[in-house]
Order: sequence, then structure tokens, then C-alpha cells
Amino acid sequence: MPRFASRREFLRSLGLSAAALPFLMNLPSLGFANQGQRKQRLIVMFSPNGVVPGNFWPDAEGPLAAFKPSLEPLEPFRDRVLTLHGVCDKVRGDGDNHMRGIGCLLTGIELFPGNIQGGSHTPAGWSSGISIDQELKNHLQSRPETRTRFGSLELGVLVPERADTWTRMSYSGPNQPLAPIDDPYRLLDKLYGRRKDRQALRSVLDAVSDDLRKIEAAVSGEDRQLLAQQAEFVREMERELTSPENAETANHAAPELEPGVKEDNDNMPRLSRMQIDLLVHSLAADFARVATFQFTNSVGQAKMRWLGIEEGHHELSHNPDNDEKSQDKLTRINRWYCEQLAYLTKRLAETPEPGGVGSLLDNTLIVWTNELGKGNSHTLDNIPFVLVGNGLDFKMGRSIRFPKLSHNRLLLSLAHGMGHHLPRFGNPDFCGDGPLTGLS
Amino acid sequence: MTRSATRFAARSVTRFAARFANRLAATTFVIACLALLNTPPVHGQPSNAPAGNAPAGNASAGNHAQPLQGQALLERGRAIYADQCAGCHGAEGQGHAEHYPHGLVGDKSINELSKLIHDTMPKDAAELCVGEDARAAAAYIHESFYSPTAQARRKPPRVELSRLTVRQYQQALADLIGAFRPQAAWPTAAGLRAEYYKKRQTSRENRVLERVDPAVLFQFRDSSPDPTKIEPPEFAMRWNGSIVAPETGEYEFVLKTENGARLFVNHTQTALIDAWVRSGDGVEFRQSIKLLGGRAYPLRLDFFKFKEKTASIGLWWRKPRRTVDEPLTDRDLRTASVPETFVVTTAFPPDDRSIGYERGASVSKAWDQAATDAALETAAYVAARLPELANAKPDDLPQGERVERVKKFCRRFVELAFRRPLTDEQAATLIDQPFTAGPDIETAVKRVVLRTLKSPRFLLVEVPDGPPDAYDIAARLSWILWDSLPDPPLLAAASQGQLSDPAVVLRHAQRMASDPRAQAKLADFFRQWLRIDDAPDIAKDSALFPEFSPVLAADLRTSVELFVERIVGGEAADFRTLLTAESVPLTPRLAAFYQAGSNAPPAAESTSGDGLAEALAAATFRDVPLDPGQRAGLLTHPYLLSAFAYTATSSPIHRGVFLSRSLLGRSLKQPPEAVAPLSPDLHPQLTTRERVALQTGSESCRSCHNLINPLGFTLEAFDATGRLRREEKGRPIDDSGMYFSRDGEEIRFRGARELARFLTTTTETRDAFVEQLYHYWVKQPYRAAAEPEQRRLRERFAAENFSIRSLVATIAASYACASN
Repeated sequence: MPRFASRREFLRSLGLSAAALPFLMNLPSLGFANQGQRKQRLIVMFSPNGVVPGNFWPDAEGPLAAFKPSLEPLEPFRDRVLTLHGVCDKVRGDGDNHMRGIGCLLTGIELFPGNIQGGSHTPAGWSSGISIDQELKNHLQSRPETRTRFGSLELGVLVPERADTWTRMSYSGPNQPLAPIDDPYRLLDKLYGRRKDRQALRSVLDAVSDDLRKIEAAVSGEDRQLLAQQAEFVREMERELTSPENAETANHAAPELEPGVKEDNDNMPRLSRMQIDLLVHSLAADFARVATFQFTNSVGQAKMRWLGIEEGHHELSHNPDNDEKSQDKLTRINRWYCEQLAYLTKRLAETPEPGGVGSLLDNTLIVWTNELGKGNSHTLDNIPFVLVGNGLDFKMGRSIRFPKLSHNRLLLSLAHGMGHHLPRFGNPDFCGDGPLTGLS
Repeated sequence: MTRSATRFAARSVTRFAARFANRLAATTFVIACLALLNTPPVHGQPSNAPAGNAPAGNASAGNHAQPLQGQALLERGRAIYADQCAGCHGAEGQGHAEHYPHGLVGDKSINELSKLIHDTMPKDAAELCVGEDARAAAAYIHESFYSPTAQARRKPPRVELSRLTVRQYQQALADLIGAFRPQAAWPTAAGLRAEYYKKRQTSRENRVLERVDPAVLFQFRDSSPDPTKIEPPEFAMRWNGSIVAPETGEYEFVLKTENGARLFVNHTQTALIDAWVRSGDGVEFRQSIKLLGGRAYPLRLDFFKFKEKTASIGLWWRKPRRTVDEPLTDRDLRTASVPETFVVTTAFPPDDRSIGYERGASVSKAWDQAATDAALETAAYVAARLPELANAKPDDLPQGERVERVKKFCRRFVELAFRRPLTDEQAATLIDQPFTAGPDIETAVKRVVLRTLKSPRFLLVEVPDGPPDAYDIAARLSWILWDSLPDPPLLAAASQGQLSDPAVVLRHAQRMASDPRAQAKLADFFRQWLRIDDAPDIAKDSALFPEFSPVLAADLRTSVELFVERIVGGEAADFRTLLTAESVPLTPRLAAFYQAGSNAPPAAESTSGDGLAEALAAATFRDVPLDPGQRAGLLTHPYLLSAFAYTATSSPIHRGVFLSRSLLGRSLKQPPEAVAPLSPDLHPQLTTRERVALQTGSESCRSCHNLINPLGFTLEAFDATGRLRREEKGRPIDDSGMYFSRDGEEIRFRGARELARFLTTTTETRDAFVEQLYHYWVKQPYRAAAEPEQRRLRERFAAENFSIRSLVATIAASYACASN
């Protein structure tokens, strides 16, 4: 099939003018490159405190031959992985590196000055710009063919109950941080609450009708009208609840959650799995095309006791390179996060693309990232960017090493790959020559 | 068009008229005139057809030496009516589609009617029915179908089956959920409990100061709250207490700070405003929350400063439907902690107010949908707070015990909602069944809540499936006095059979009439009785009254609310004081504008340097005697005088309509034809009084304006802002007026004080007030009560020194004990 740069060009090639457009719009068989049938999705997964570079990055550029320990869980999907070394967060200004690390990660622009004091540098506030996930959401929601119920979902696992620069990654605009939902029950309620409401409602309406009938029998003349009317409304509601239009989301079963899993540190593996299941469900149901998935927070302090690690993640991440025990633990922590990524990948690969060909993974790109390159140096160079899945036509199964390019350019690549051809994103000074080259 | 919109239109019209009088479209004026009477516009003019198809006949031929009386008079009237009137007005006064489509219904006395007929009827041939004939026709019309009693005879008013009104729904749910929370005494001590810390961490060792702050309006600049104990670079504060919402609606809270702060209102876990992270230049943060009037809500404010050059914190709010922010002060803030209140946020369609008071006599699809949404909202709220409400934390209890506690909670929930104990059969279907249906406790609870709140046993004010019993009596009392559910003492009295004794019922009514919920309902009643329940903020012509700012207008509104609250909430609660008190609560701003002179509150003494004292003084109201010997309570309260006026000139018609309708309980029909108010500019030589007289001089206007104008003219000594004036356009004010009583007596008075003396002595005001209060509180027709009972209520009101609180209790007890 020939590729056309724009819909207009395509129409011209068919000899059609804009006047014919309304007719064409109703013809689903006419697909458009990047605008039509393929549903593209983007998931950004975040874990904190940097990585142990030697145990993380593939040694050489080119086709991926083998993974280092932290990335080993991705082995089954090796040909669908793309690692990007040398992408750096060059945004400076107020805030310490943990704050800027998360706050500028998806926004590519400085934090506002503020009153939140980190471990060093000057105090800072919220990001001064929108994040790329929200930019893409707005883009997709602005067009009927890519519009979905929520547009985007912001998920988390054990994100602390406080709103500050370290706990927020997504921004709907300057000074507008978005809180991720880290409680699976709350998420389920957001996704399926209305459907459950309707079921509950349906279960009580018969009894309500009975009540009305009983009372109506005891009431005289003029007053009966109010009860009769009310009974009619109840019947109408019953009809509406069972009508096909209201069977929205009924093409798949609502997921069942294991009850009573509390949000505490030791439940982290279960919570992670529940959230991933809900995320995959949401994508299959086409509730959203963009998602962020945030483990804990920048400076996160998960204690991975299930790996035999008693220390908090952040305090471990400060230990020096020659502390082998700590480096081993940090490697295993990142490996655990990679296992979550692998589980997400597996679930997407197993789930057929509804109404399309292949699997969800064929149309989804996951970007796993971090606020720091390395925990003990707090560097914002070589931010981990591990891409999985085939949602964006990038050439996968490779390792690329860039010469310290700014991460704004990667954000632009993501936007372009999703069909949103932004000239710049975030601070224009870091947008260089536009999207990174060599990805596709 | 809504009432506020029409009123707005009326005001803008005046402003326009001043400048572009000749360009003004007549249709705009129609709206303006109709707005006065607060009724939908009539389209088209009344029929121009000649009055009466039949020839005049000879009905007036005979001359009688003695005036006719009784039946003879009525018989004669019947003949004249059939001959001269029925052609246009219909055989029974029902009207005639072509000639005069309106029913002949009203409250004029026979004397007034006969004068009207004598002067104006039959239309275009008024000489045909005069004198004795006019009197006979008037008597017949009055007796047969015109008067309220005739109407009552024709269709006796009845107590109608009613669903809950929106107000009742909201209040009932708040109390229903509140029953499962700790019961807090009504908070009285004003202000907020404040804790000051010398670091940004609010740990005990950092706490250096505890006190009560009357408000949070601080400008610390580059200093600290207490330089002897706290260094300026870093400190923190926490304020705790509660806030009282004066009326129901959306409240916008406003935090003004260049530092970090968090405000919690009614939710102790989730901040309403989270401005903890200062970011960029934002210094003002706003967030809305719906609150029900007459209740206290928990409030907490956290603040910290870290390295910023300066510090300040201001806590303000914008009350429902207002246009300006006002500082929160010790009028609104209380030191005591109170539990959270459930405020249902689902929006309901407004209740029917077509007959003058809110009632739930009809249902609609939109209402049913709202009731469903509200039930779902409540179910979700309850399920999410089950550990707290049912005292059943999953961790602390074995599953079996937890189920038992939750079922116990459910049973009490249903019994409170239905206002009576459940039968065993009901309990089995309502409680046990959902729990056996599974799948889990939360789902079962949600079903119980949905089933309960959708049930007619909750949604109907009273379920008429048998003669009223003790629980019906209890519920009647609580609906009337609180628009809510019975409280535990009332339910206990019902279960112990005490409510068969009317004296016990009255005692409960009196107890409940003193509750804040009854006080809040009273405040709502006065807002609608004073016809100030929407568009609260007033604007005036800025060229004529440059000092009449939005802030001043907001103060003025608060002043009228405080005025009512202080009298009605006082020991005597004497209705007459509302019309005679000479003092008005004024801020320094208001006092300056109304030239309260030496009576004005003293200027603030600045002490602390943090700006609190000054900010507080500017917002504090004091009772100030205004214009000695000239003011008469609400009649001359500057807010009402301003509201019932145009932007530049007074409006004797607005004022007269208010006096006729609210004070004297007269019903006024819409203007018979579209009339454009005369622009002041077209008649620069006329005073307002003269202009209004000219405007309403025509025959068709006079039937209402003979009543309206002479009442409104008595307040002409007050201008468009309610300021006292001695003259207008260089001529002394004529504030003489008069009133034709329902008995036909002509009463003359001059100025507001004489008007007040008349209004506080005539039984017409008293009777009208009893009827209007009854309607608002009971939401059923006053005339559905037996006539002797109506008389008893009126007499009790007088006998109890016109105590409004006592009247409310008497009405509630009277209705509760009625046999139907």
C-alpha cells in the first residue's frame, strides 16, 4: 500500500475533494497511515533511584545478543526490545536532581522556583510545562477516530500519599501535576464502577416497584397519580438498564480483583500484578491509548523483603560502587522492576488486538525509564530508556548508543511516532535537530 | 426568564434609559415592568372587543330607598353579572378565551371591588354599572368565586401526597449518615485553635505558641508571627476548628499566600486546597465545595514558610451566588472540632414553587434520575467508609463478627431512613437477602442503601397506608422543623407512646425549634419572604454612587442577614421588632457610606503589626443606630431599599409590591398590558413619585397600583441606595401614603415609622405572616387545616408576643397532631 504524508494528499490521489470527505469518513475500509485502523498505544513505566550501569546496559551497539542481569527478564522478548544509551536529561534550574529527574522527565522543561527543598540545590515547585503523555492524550482526544473514554490513565504502585515534586511525573499543564491512582480497587471503580452500579441498581428495582404497588393500593384518587408516575419511571429505568446501548463495555468481562489487598510495602508484588492486569484490561477495552505507570516515587523507598533485601531502595542507591553487596542488591531491585515490565509485556503479547490483527503488544510501545542515570552520583546523564513492543514502528531488537543527546529529542520521537508531529517539546533549547534519528 | 435575570434586565434598562431613552425598544420595557411582579410575561394585549355583548339593559333602573342587604343584594348582583359581565368574564368568573382570558380571583374587599366596578366596568361603558349596582355585582362576585374563601369553598384545599423536596433529601441524608458518627455539641466558641512552630516540621518540640485566632488574615512580611520565639526564615502554623455555613450552596474557599499551605474542609483526609508546593508566582488558590446551611464542618489549615523572603496567609471565601470574596472571621469560625457531614453533591431539578412555596407534589423523570444518582453516590460513600460507620474494621474483626456489625448498621440505617422500626418480614427482605446474595459485604451494603433510598418509604414525606401513628407524628415534626429525619429523643418518645399527648408533641416541637437546623430554615424562610433569595449582590449607578462598591454591597447583604438573625435568634424573637428596630449592623465601610456619624464603630487599633486587627475590624459588624427617628427595621434596611430600587432611582413600585405581598399578604396579578416605565430623563421635572403616578394612572393599572403605589410612596425618603434624603430635585419629599384594608377601611400614614406602626398593629400583617410561615414550613396548604385551627394559630401568635420561634413550634405541633 502506498504511503501518503497526509490525508489531503491521499484524497487528492483519489481525485476527491474535501466535499467528498463526509462520505469517505463513513467508510471504515479506507485506512490512513498512522491515523486509521492501527490503534497505537504508549505506556511509560517509571522506577526510581537510577540503575547499576554495568549490570544494566548492553555492552555493544547493534543487534541485541544478550542481556545484562538487570534486563534478563526481557529475554523472551529480545527481538522486541530497544535500549537507548546516551540520552540525557539536560534540563537544569531549580530543584535537586531527584526532583528535576522526575519533574522534567516527561516535560522536558524547568521546574518553577518554589518552597520544596531537596537534598541539595535550590528549593523548587512544580514543572512549568505539560508532560508528553498528556500532550499525546490531548492530541488523540481531539480527533474522533482516536478518541477514547479516558484518553489516558495514570497508574502507580505504592505512590506515597502526598503531593510534591518527587511524587508526580505527569502534568496536564504548568503547575498541574496529575496524581496516579495506586489503589487497584479505586482504579477498578474508575474503570467499571458505572457498570457495577447498574447491576446493583437493577437488582433492587423489582422490590421498589413492589413497594410502590403496595402503597398505591392504600392511597385514594388524586394522590395515586404521583405514585403511578413514579412507578412508570422505575419501569423506564429498568428498560434502559437492560437496553443494548447501555451494555457499554459489555464486550468483555470486568476483571475480578482479589479482595482486601492492602497498600503496604510487602504487598508490592501483588499490587503490581493487579495494576498491570487492570492496565491490560483497560487497553483491551480501549479505555485509553496512553498510560503512565509509576512505581513508588522519585527517591522511592521500597523495601524488597521478598528478595531478601531489608534496606530501603533509596538509601541503598547512595552506597558506593565498590560496595559489592549493595550493587548486587540494586541490580536485583532493578531486575525485579524489569520482571514487572516483562509481565506487562507478556500480558500484552498474549492479548489479541480487539478488532484487529496480532496482539496488543504489536500496537503498543512501553518506555521503561527512571529519574536518574545512576543512584550514587545522581547523574541525569544516560537516563535508562528501555523500549519494548511494536507500537511505534521503531526497529526493535537493538541497542543504540547516542552521543549524550538531550532527552527532549526522544520525547519528540515518541510524539512523531504516535502521529503527532510537534516541532518542539518542552524547552526548545534542548530540542536540537528534532526527533532522534535512527530509531525506525 | 429567571427572576434574577428579569431583575437585572430591569436595572440595566434604567441605566440605559438615562442615556438612550429614545432608542429604547418598548419590548425591553415590557420585561422590566413584568419583572416587578415577578410573573411570566403576557404576550399580546387584552382584547379590544367592546365590553359586554349584551345591551346594558335596565338593571340600574330602580332606585332603592334602603341599601340592599344579604341574599337580596346577592340576587341582584347575580342578575347584573349575568347581564353585563358574564359575556367577557364567563358564567362563573372563569374568563373568556376571546375577551378576558383570566379568572376573576383575588383578595380585594367588596368595597374595593365595587369602587373598581363603579369606576371602570363594564369596559368602555363604565357608566352602565355604578353605585348600588356596582356594589351588588361586587358582593355577588366576591361571594361566589372571587374571594379566597369562595375559592376554598369551590375546591377545598387538601393535604397532598408529597415526595421529599431537594432540601429535605439533602438534610435527611446528612443526618442519616451523621447518626453513625460521634454526636458533637453545637460549637459556640468563635475563632480557630492555632499552633505556631519554630520550624517547618510540626513536631511537639517545635511548638512555641498556642492561642485562638479570630481569623487567618496575616501579613508577616519579612518578620515572623512572634519574633521573640520564632525566627523569620522558617516556621509553620496549624489552625484547627470548624466552620458554620449560613446557607446551602457552593462555597468557594480562597487561600492567599506566597508560602505553602493546605486547607481541609469537611474532609479530614483529602485537602480541599493543596498549595503545599509553592511553584512560580501563584499567590491565590481557590476551590469550591458544597455545604448545607446551618451546619458546622471540620476545618484545618496547615501553613509553612521556608526561606521565602516574606510570609502571609489569608483565608477567605465566596458564599453561594455572591460576586465578591470575603474574609472568614469569627462570625463563621468555631474552635470546636466536629465530625464530617455527608453532603450529597448530585444536582436535583429545583422544586415546584409555583404557588409560592417549595413542595414535592409532583415527580419528573429528571427528579427520578437525580434521586437514583444520589442513591448511588450515597451507596458509594457508605461502602467506602464502612469501617468507620459500622465500626467494623476488616483487620480487627473475624469475618462473621464483621458481617454481624455491618448488618446491624444496615438495619439501623433503614429504620432511620424509614423513620420507624422494621417488621421481621421487612428485615428479612431488606437486610438478610442482600447479604446472602453476595458476593461480598460492600456489594450487599450498596444494595441495602440503594434499595432504601429508592424506596417510597424513604422518598415520600408520609406513607399514607393507614391512620397516622406515633412515628408519623414524629416524622411530621422533624420534616416541618428541620426538613430532616427525627432524632433519637423523638424516636424514643414515639416508641414509648408519648406522642399521643399533644402537650408532649408541643414540648418536642419547642425543643426542636431552638436547634440550629430550625434556625437555618428560618433564615432560608426570611430570604424568600424578603424576596432576596437569589442574585444577592446589588450594583448601583457608579456615576451617582461611586462609593457603592461590590464590597460594600456584600457587606450590606450580610447586614440584612445579621439583622434578621439577631432578632429571630434572640430570646423574644418578636416579629414586630423586625419592623421597628432602629439599629442596623454595620461595618465601618457601611457606617461611613450611610453617615452613621458619631455612632460609627471606632477605627481599628493596630497592635500586632501582622495586619490581623485591621483586617478584622474592617469586616466586623456592630449594631449602629441609624438616622434617629427615621428608620423602621426591615422596612428601611438599606439592603432592601437598595434591592427594591433601580440603579439610579428609588422604585416605589418594587417597594410597594414587597409591602403588599410579603407584609400584607395581598395577591397581585400580572400587569394587564405591557407597560414601559417612564424614563426619568423624559420627565426631568417630575419627582419619582410624580413619575410613577403618571405612569400608572390609566384605568387598567389602577386596580393594582392603587394598592401598590401608596404603600411604596411611604419609603420615598430613601434613595436608590437606601440613604436618607430630605428632598428630590430640589423639592421636599412627599412620603405620605395610604392603605385600603380588607375590611374596606382607609388608613393614612406618612413615612416609614407610621407605616411600621400600622403594620405592627393590624391583624392583616399578622395573619399573612402566619399563613406564609405555615406554607414554607409545612409545605401543605394552610387552608387545608381546619378553620378553627387556623384561628387558633393566629391567636396564639399574638398571645405569645409574636414570638416567631413559638409560632413555628405551634404550627409544627398543630400539623403533627392533625387527624389526617
